[in-house]
Amino acid sequence: MIESVAGEKSDLSINGVLTDLVGKTEALTALLISRRGICLGQAGGGAKLNSTALAALVAGMFSATKEVANIVGEEQFSILLQQGEKRHIHISLIGDKTMMVIVFEDYSRIGRVRLAAKKSSPLLVRLVNKDTEDQKDAMQNISIPDFKEYALNLIDRIFVIGEEEDASPRPE
Amino acid sequence: MPHLDLNNKQLVFKIVYFGPGMSGKTTNLLFIHKKIFDRYKGEMVILDTEEERTLFFDFFPVSLGSIQGFSLKIHLYTIPGQIYYEASRRIILEGADGVVFVADSKVDRLDENIDMYRRMLTNLDSFGVDISTFPIVLQYNKRDFKDLIPLGKIEEILNLPEDVLVTESVATTGSGVMRTLQLISKEVIRNFQLD
Repeated sequence: MIESVAGEKSDLSINGVLTDLVGKTEALTALLISRRGICLGQAGGGAKLNSTALAALVAGMFSATKEVANIVGEEQFSILLQQGEKRHIHISLIGDKTMMVIVFEDYSRIGRVRLAAKKSSPLLVRLVNKDTEDQKDAMQNISIPDFKEYALNLIDRIFVIGEEEDASPRPE
Repeated sequence: MPHLDLNNKQLVFKIVYFGPGMSGKTTNLLFIHKKIFDRYKGEMVILDTEEERTLFFDFFPVSLGSIQGFSLKIHLYTIPGQIYYEASRRIILEGADGVVFVADSKVDRLDENIDMYRRMLTNLDSFGVDISTFPIVLQYNKRDFKDLIPLGKIEEILNLPEDVLVTESVATTGSGVMRTLQLISKEVIRNFQLD
């Protein structure tokens, strides 16, 4: 059980918070992305997006922007806004490990998007921190020897070495 | 340390193809993307300049399957090789679980290979990575050219450990590419442990 911003107890999840945000802002979709470029949560179905590629690109973009901020004497720009003809993207830092991406169409809602992003940020930070703790616990439940054996078999099956490899000596 | 995503029940490893400009990093990834069956791979993202040099990175995800209830994924990245993209390289290298160093085997590129390998080690060290155990495969690419850097030369100059993993390749034909990928992927998996 996690305490929400409003103070009530509820079974909140990252996807639940994003769904709430999408509802309030009428955004197409909202995603939470890690600094490593991995999508941690997503809500809204208005835009059929390649969330894996989007997460990698946004993480790279945000890191690049951090370098730009350093060059001009800022530690970080906390918000990035990309304005298109029909769709717009609001990206905000959520703590120091994650970013939230909100894709929306009606630009007049930018104020609402900013407000909702700001309001949900502390809760998302707590949920991410809780997830990190849960992940440590979940890691303990993985049988590492079994995991490795099965993973090595999958690699052999999927990364198939074909005839074009003949010129290369066997490394093992 | 791979990323464990409980919400989506997935375990994600990151492998980065590093090396000097024009050594064949993107060519490696393009061949791998072509070679892997559609059901295992995601769309490939290529961010290049008008001269088809990598500007930021190339990327695509591979879904290997499900193990103990978790979907096992490998994200493959390249870095831009040109010397002036150091900031981009650092960004992409951070969080990597393993690296393929794609060396250009042409003898006149020896110094650039050495310089870039040292930059890679410096960056990894700055992230707190223990280089002595970190999975790295040194791929001598472009073995179809004349006047080649002899195998062992880069390791000798950099004083790399004797057990460093080395492959030869011609990425344009695919020779050695999948073997290199197998090797680094297995090293990453073998290196996986709980903190």
